[in-house]
Amino acid sequence: MASHAAGASAGSDAPHAEVVSMGQTNPSPYPPLASSHQAWSSVSGSATVSWNNQVDKPSQDTVYYDPQRDVSVAGGNQNVGVSASHAAQSSMGITDASHSQLPYSSSVPHGYNPVEYANYYYSYPQATNDSSVQQGANQHPGAAYQPLTSFQNSGSYIDPTSNTYYNAAGHQTVPGYGSSSYYYQNNTWNGGSSGNNYAQSYQNYSSSDTNALQSSTSMPANSVPYQQQYNQWPYYYDQSVPNASSNPVAGNSTTDTVAVNNPSGYSYPNSQPPPPGTTPWRSNSVASVAPPMQAPGVSGPQNQYTNQAQDHNSNQATGVQWSQNHYTYQAQAYPQKTMNLSHAPLSNPEDQQRTAAPIGPSSNTLSNHVSENFQPNLQGSMTTNASSESKIQIPTNPRIAPGFSMVIPKSEKKNLGADLSKKPAYVSVSVPTNDAQGTQVGPDAVMFCSLLRLGNIHRSIPFSLRNYTIRNLNRCKDDAQRTACTRIMEEIVRKAIADGTILTKNWDTEPLLPLPELGMTEASDSDKEQDLTKYYASATALANSPEEKKRREHRSKRFERSQDSSLKSRISSANKDAMANMHTRRAISSHLSRTYEEGTRAVEDMDWDALTIKGTCQEIEKGYLRLTSAPDPSVVRPEDVLEKALAMVETSQKNYFYKCDQLKSIRQDLTVQRIQNGLTVKVYETHARLAMQAGDLPEYNQCQSQLKRLYAEGIEGCYFEFSAYNLLCVMLHYNNKRDLLSSLASLSKEAKQDAAVKHALAVHAAVLSGNYVLFFKLYKKAPNLNSCLMDLYVERMRFEAMKCMSKSYRPTVPVEYVAQILGFLRTDSEGCTADGDDGLEECEKWLKAHGVVLSVDSSGELQIDMKASSATLYMPEPENAVAHGDATLAVDDFLARTS
Amino acid sequence: MAAYLSMGEAHRRIGDYLSRVVNAISSSDGAALASLISVSSAPGSTPLSDALAAFPDFPRLAGDRFPHLADLLVPLLRSIHSHSLQRFSDAYSSFEKAASAFLQEFRNWETPWAMEAMHTVALEIRLLAEKADRELATTGKNPDKLQAAGSFLMKVFGALAVKGPKRIGALYVTCQLFKIYFRLGTVNLCRSVIRSIETARNFDFEDFPVKDKVTYMYYTGRLEVFNENFLVADQKLTYALMHCNPQSESNLRRILKFLIPVKLSIGVLPKRTLLERYNLLEYADVVTSLKRGDLRLLRQALDRHEDQFLKSGVYLVLEKLELQVYQRLVKKIHIIQRQKEPAKAHQIKLDVVVKALKWLEIDMDVDEVECIMACLIYKNLIKGYFAHKSKVLVLSKQDPFPKLNGKPV
Repeated sequence: MASHAAGASAGSDAPHAEVVSMGQTNPSPYPPLASSHQAWSSVSGSATVSWNNQVDKPSQDTVYYDPQRDVSVAGGNQNVGVSASHAAQSSMGITDASHSQLPYSSSVPHGYNPVEYANYYYSYPQATNDSSVQQGANQHPGAAYQPLTSFQNSGSYIDPTSNTYYNAAGHQTVPGYGSSSYYYQNNTWNGGSSGNNYAQSYQNYSSSDTNALQSSTSMPANSVPYQQQYNQWPYYYDQSVPNASSNPVAGNSTTDTVAVNNPSGYSYPNSQPPPPGTTPWRSNSVASVAPPMQAPGVSGPQNQYTNQAQDHNSNQATGVQWSQNHYTYQAQAYPQKTMNLSHAPLSNPEDQQRTAAPIGPSSNTLSNHVSENFQPNLQGSMTTNASSESKIQIPTNPRIAPGFSMVIPKSEKKNLGADLSKKPAYVSVSVPTNDAQGTQVGPDAVMFCSLLRLGNIHRSIPFSLRNYTIRNLNRCKDDAQRTACTRIMEEIVRKAIADGTILTKNWDTEPLLPLPELGMTEASDSDKEQDLTKYYASATALANSPEEKKRREHRSKRFERSQDSSLKSRISSANKDAMANMHTRRAISSHLSRTYEEGTRAVEDMDWDALTIKGTCQEIEKGYLRLTSAPDPSVVRPEDVLEKALAMVETSQKNYFYKCDQLKSIRQDLTVQRIQNGLTVKVYETHARLAMQAGDLPEYNQCQSQLKRLYAEGIEGCYFEFSAYNLLCVMLHYNNKRDLLSSLASLSKEAKQDAAVKHALAVHAAVLSGNYVLFFKLYKKAPNLNSCLMDLYVERMRFEAMKCMSKSYRPTVPVEYVAQILGFLRTDSEGCTADGDDGLEECEKWLKAHGVVLSVDSSGELQIDMKASSATLYMPEPENAVAHGDATLAVDDFLARTS
Repeated sequence: MAAYLSMGEAHRRIGDYLSRVVNAISSSDGAALASLISVSSAPGSTPLSDALAAFPDFPRLAGDRFPHLADLLVPLLRSIHSHSLQRFSDAYSSFEKAASAFLQEFRNWETPWAMEAMHTVALEIRLLAEKADRELATTGKNPDKLQAAGSFLMKVFGALAVKGPKRIGALYVTCQLFKIYFRLGTVNLCRSVIRSIETARNFDFEDFPVKDKVTYMYYTGRLEVFNENFLVADQKLTYALMHCNPQSESNLRRILKFLIPVKLSIGVLPKRTLLERYNLLEYADVVTSLKRGDLRLLRQALDRHEDQFLKSGVYLVLEKLELQVYQRLVKKIHIIQRQKEPAKAHQIKLDVVVKALKWLEIDMDVDEVECIMACLIYKNLIKGYFAHKSKVLVLSKQDPFPKLNGKPV
C-alpha cells in the first residue's frame, strides 16, 4: 500500500505524524497506518487549513470547544436513541442562544459525525488489519480528536496559542464544510437547481455577522453532507449489500439537520441546503446508504466503532484498492494545489459563491475554471450524468485537498490574517480549498475524476490499468485532449469490464491511445483566465450537448458490439464530422488492438471506404510531412492533381532531395485516399528509380516492398524490371539466403526470359562463384538501372577480387590488366584503352588506397607485387563515413547536394 | 448419408462418448483419452458424428452432464461435428477452444499421464489448421489458422518446457512447431524454441524420445542448410539418419534429401545405389558432374530440377558445387597432361582449360577462366599459383588438388 502512495504525499507524512502526536491523546493509531492513511488525513487537513486560520477568532474561547468535545461523545450517545429526540435537542440548542456555546453543542452530534467520518477514513486503510481497527475503537474518547488533530495544519497554521482541542473543533467543522461543499456538487450534478440553491444559501451565511451562530448553523448544515459522505463510502464498497434498515435511518439523519437548521433562524438559507442535498442522495442510493447511517446516528460511539470495524471488514477487499487508486491521484493533485494557493482569493462571499459553482465542474472533469456564468450551463448539462458519477465525485475532493494543506505557504497565512480582521472568520472556511479546486484543479482533477468514475463501474481497477490511464493522460497536452482521452479510457475500461478482461489484460503492454486532437483546440488556451473560462464552458457545453451525448452513446455501443459485426452503418453515421471521425478511428484502432482474434473479422467487416477521405487540394507542389493525425482533405490532392505532380517531379531539374520529398508527399496523398492503381505503381516506380540513382537504399526498399504488393494485386507496371532490381538487391545487399531462395522461386518462366532478369541472375552466378571478371563485365552491360544497384557492391567486389588475386597470382600483374577486369576502364575487354588513362589513374589510386604494393618493371609498366600486396591489403574506411551511419544526413554533404 | 438415427440413440451415443472421455480423465488413462480426442483422423461419418448431426442440442447435453468439463467437451463435440461436415475452419476454431481448456487442465495435473493426449492435441491442432487453411484459401479468405495453431502450440510448449516430468514431452511439441514454421516460411521463429531446448541444463537432450530427437535434428539440420553451416548441418542430419527408424524409408529419404547436398558440398559423394534406393535421382547428374568435372552437366541438372531445388532450399548449395566441378576439370587436365608430358605436368596452360570448357559448350573468355583459376587457388581447391604474364597455372608438386575432407569450400 505504502508503495502506492506517491512521493508527494509520502513526503508530507512526517509533519502529519508529528502534529498528530503532539495534539493527540493517543497517537497509537497512527504508527500502524500506512502512508495511504496519511493521504487521508491530509485530505481533511486541507479543508481544515482555511477554516482554522479564520475560525481562530470566532472561537476565541477554548471553553467554547471543550464542552463540545465532551458533548461530542455524549452527542453520539444521544443519537443512540431516537433521532427525533436528537433533533429536538439540537434544535433547542440552536434556538437557545445563537451566540452561546450551546449551538455548538447542539451541532455536536453532527459535528461528531465528521469526526467519525474522519475516523472512518483513518481506520479504513487499517481495514485489512483487524487489530488496528480495534485500536481505534478502544481509544474512542480520544478518537474524537484523533482525526481532528491529524489535520496537521492545526499545529502549523493555527495561532500557536490556540490549544489543540480547540483547533480540533475547528477541524471538525472544517471537514464538514469541505465535504458539504462537495456535497453541493452532488446537488448540481443530480438535480440541476439544487446546486444553485445551495450556493445562494451559502452566500447568505457568509453575509451574516455572528460568527458563532454561523458556525453553528453551518455545522448542522454540513453534518448532513457529512453523514452522507460517510455513507457514501460504504456505499461504494458495499453497493451490492443493501440494508433494509437503511431507510428509516436515512430519514432520521436528514430530518435531523433540517430540524436543527430551521430553529436557528437561518431557516431559509440553511434549511435549504440539506434537502437538496439529501433528497437526491436518497433517491440515488436509498438502500445502500443505510449501514453507515446507522453507525453514526443510531448507536453509541463504541457501537459506532464496531460498526465501523464491520464496515471495514465488509469493505476490505475492495476498499484497499480504492485507496490505492486515490493515492496516486492525490500525488498528482499536489503541484496543482500549490499553484492554486498563490492566487486563491480567500474569504470572499463572492468567492464562495463562485466556488460553489465550480465545484461541480471541477469534479465534472470538464470545466474547472468556470465561474458563475458557467453554472447554468453546468446545471443544464450535468444532470445528464449518471448519478453514480456524481456520487463518486465526493471522495475526489477530499483527496485533492491534501495537497493544499501541505503546501499552504506563509503568504496564505497573511491573507488569512487580513481576512480575519475584516471578516467573520468562518466565512472563508471552505472557500480556499474549494476555490482552489474550483479554479485550478484542472487536468488532474479531470484525470482523477475520470478514474473515480471508472471506479464506480468496477470497484477493483487493477494498478496496471490505473497506470495505463495515467500514462495516457500524461501524454495529453491540454485539457481538451485530456477530456477526450478520459472519455476513451472510460469506454475502454467499460468494455474491459464488460468482457471481463479488466483484471486479466496486461495493461502495461497495452498500446497507448493515439493523442486525440480536438477540433476545438483552436480556442485559445491563453493564460487569461477569462478565455479559459469561456473555453472550458464551451467545452463542457459541447461535451454535454445532446449531440455529443448521442455520439458517446454510439461509442459505448460500439464497444459493447465488439462481438457482432454491424460496425459499418454506425461508423459511417458517426462519420459526420471530423471530430466524430477522429473518435471513430481511435475507437477502431483501440478496438482492433484489443481483440486480436476478432481483429481480422472486424477488419473484414469494416467499411474502410467510409473512412477514406477525398482530397480537395489543387496545389501541385507539396512537401512531405509525416502525418500525426487524421488527414485533412483540404491539404490532400485528388488523383488528377497527383498525376500532374508526378509529371512535375519527373521533369523537374531539381535535385534528388527535392524530388524525394515531393514523391513522398504524393505517396502519402495516395495512401490516405487509398488510391491503388496504375498511378500508384508509377509513382512508386519513379521514386524507386530515383532512389536507386541516388543510392538511397532505404527509400528504394520502401518503394520496392510497396511495388511487390501492388504487382501482386495485379496492377500493371514494369514488373520484370523491378523483379531484376529485387533480385539484385536481395543478393547483393541482404545476404539472406532464404530471401534469395524465395525471390528466385517466385520468378516465373517468362520473367526468366527477360533481359534484365537474366542479367540479374547472371550477376547472382558471378557473385556466387566469386567470378569478378564476369561481375564487372555484367556491370558494364547492365540494362535499366541494374548498374545502380551493382554500384553499391562494386567496392566490395573489387576488394574481394584483389584479395583473391593477391593470393593466387605470382609474381606480378600489370595494373592495366587489373584496371580492365575490375571495371576501371570504360572499354570492353577486347577494346584497347581508348580513354583508359583516367581509368588507369583511378585504378592506381584505388589500389594504393587499399594497400596494394606497386612496382615498375623493366619495361616501365606499372605492376602489382602480389606477394607483398597479400600482406598489406586492407579495406580503408569509407571516406564519406559519418558517425550516425548515413552520409546523406551529414550537413555539409546535404548542403552540397541541395545547392 | 447415415441412416436415420433416433433421438434416443443419438443421445445415448453422445452420452457414451462423453462418459468415456470423462472416465479416461478420471482414471488418468492418457492413451484412451488420446484416441478419443483425435478429430482429424476420423472418417467423414462415424457413429458419433451421426449422433451429433441427429441431436443438435449436444452442447447443452455435454454442459449439463459434465459441467466441470464443459469448456473442454462442448467445443470438442462441436469440432467433431464441424469436421464431419467438412467445415474445417469451424472445426479448427472449436478444437482450439477445446485444446485451450485441455491445456488448462493439463497444467493442473501434476503427473504427465496425459502426455499422450497432449501430443494428440498438438498434432490434431496442426492437422486441423492445415485443413482449415486449405479451406480458407479456396474460399478466398485469409488462411491464418496455421499461424494461430503455432501460437497455441507455443503456449503448450511453455507448459511443457519446465522443470519436471512434463519436459519430456516438450520436444514433440517443438517438432510440431517446426513443421508449422517451415510450412509458413517463418523459420526464424524456430530460434527461440531451439534456444530453449538446447540451453536447458536440467534436461539432457538424449533423454527425449528417439523419434522426437530424430525429427528435431532433421529440422535443425535443415535450418543449418539455410544458413550454409554445412558442418553443423552435416552433424545434425547424420544424427537424424543414424537414429531414424530404418523401416521408415520416407523419413530416411527426407533426411537424405538434405544430407546429400550437404555431403556434396564437403566433398563426399554418394553411391548411385543410395540415390536409386531412396529415389533421389535428381542428384544423380549432380554427382556425375562432380565426378567428371562436367560443368555443363551440373548446370543442366540444376536447370532441370530448379523448381524442386528451390523449393527444398538446396539450390544455392548445389550451385556452389560449381567450383568443385572446375577443380575436377583441372585435375583431369592435369592427369592427362602428366601422362602426355610428365616434365611439364605441373604447368597447365590456360588455353587448355579454355579449350576444355569450349568442348563443354561453356562460353567463357580467357579472362573469366583466369579468374576462375584464381578463385580455385584462393579457395584452396588448387595448390599453386597463376602466372599472369605467361597465362600458366603452376601447380604445387605436393597434393595439387587437396581433398575437402569434410571442410566446406
